[in-house]
Amino acid sequence: MKHAAEGSLASLYPLVHASAADGRSVLAEIERSTAEKAREAASLREETLLRLADRLISCASAMAIRFGLGGRLFTFGNGGSSTDASAVAQLFLQPPSGRPVAASSLAAETAVVTALANDVGFDAVFARQLAALAEPTDIALGLSTSGNSENVLRAFEEASRRGLLTIGFAGYDGGRMAETDTIDHLFVIHSPSAHRIQETRTTLYHALWELSQYALARQTRRDRVG
Amino acid sequence: MRFLSTEKLVRPLKGDFTPSLQAGPPAEILSIASRRSATAACLVNQSAEIARAGRAMAQRFHRRGKLIAFGSGPAASDAQHVTVEFLHPAIVGKRALPAVCLLADVASLTGAAEAEGWAEAFATPLRQIDRPVDIALALSSRREPENVRRALRVARDRGLLTVSLVGELDGPSAVVDHRIVAGSGDPLLAREIQATAYHVLWELVHVFLEQPAMLTRTEA
Repeated sequence: MKHAAEGSLASLYPLVHASAADGRSVLAEIERSTAEKAREAASLREETLLRLADRLISCASAMAIRFGLGGRLFTFGNGGSSTDASAVAQLFLQPPSGRPVAASSLAAETAVVTALANDVGFDAVFARQLAALAEPTDIALGLSTSGNSENVLRAFEEASRRGLLTIGFAGYDGGRMAETDTIDHLFVIHSPSAHRIQETRTTLYHALWELSQYALARQTRRDRVG
Repeated sequence: MRFLSTEKLVRPLKGDFTPSLQAGPPAEILSIASRRSATAACLVNQSAEIARAGRAMAQRFHRRGKLIAFGSGPAASDAQHVTVEFLHPAIVGKRALPAVCLLADVASLTGAAEAEGWAEAFATPLRQIDRPVDIALALSSRREPENVRRALRVARDRGLLTVSLVGELDGPSAVVDHRIVAGSGDPLLAREIQATAYHVLWELVHVFLEQPAMLTRTEA
């Protein structure tokens, strides 16, 4: 999904363009704006974590319940979001610590994605895979920076129909993902910048993984006591 | 009709989160946030190196070089992200720049690893597609693994610009032109810092490409 709202780089780096004639100050100006972006990224990350705290915790608990029932995690997204879908799946499957759970990205299998895109249409590439693979105890996690990716929305419809737990990550105002009732846990990151949205999204799914590990551990303890 | 009502299933768990009954944010979230409090400083401290790396990359693109990205594990997904970022920018109006990653074709990747060993998984395909004018961009969420070090060594020997985004510098690392260190032993935090780093690098490349006069300077 393209993002038109961000305008020209001249507007992102006005002083760089103004000082281009005077080359000596340019690198210093770029250093300054790089530092500024790093601070922006950090404050959006913190702000969003705190704003969505309760939702992250309740989503992590719901995930832990599914994992406890043998549920698997299916992730999906397009472009940069497809790489995050892979990263989320890899994190749950091969965590740096804690309990590994079954997880895979629906964007990873080129043969399946291109077959579905060619034969059925690109809007169906994730939904059709869920129809074939998913059980009602599974979890569907979709990412779309704009919140408007048709194939992600279709996958949520399919997942919701089948009783999966559905989790969505979107940016800006959430787009169409904010309007649908097919997403149980929706995390919207408010920023005008696609880059800052994607960076904070990485933090959010890392947090979600960590919280789901706590919830799994509590659940295991409870099962032992019970 | 849902198979499981998640609302009903979740409600009994709420008692576990006593912090949420208090006024402030839950302790687990505060811990997650506080571990990230130094992430800005890390990149701020390296902003000069990031600026130099961005300009050097822009110089290579200006000379019609391409970006070759690679990494293992979670960093593999970041290498793919960087590739699509350059090839098909998310921001309208920015030109497509040539970028490939050494991860997408599983037949070639596993073929190289099978023939030469996992340590050669990136060096072998890199040799087959590189030109001296290209850029080798390595991503590692911890330290540089052996296959990344080997590919960087081969790339540097062959005249490529070498840039490495690395989680921490604990252990062996390759000699490279530019290295940006996340400085965290937590690979998840390192990825978050690196996401900002490569987004800024992308932006800087376009800033420099739009100001060709800046590309020819060796010192500023």
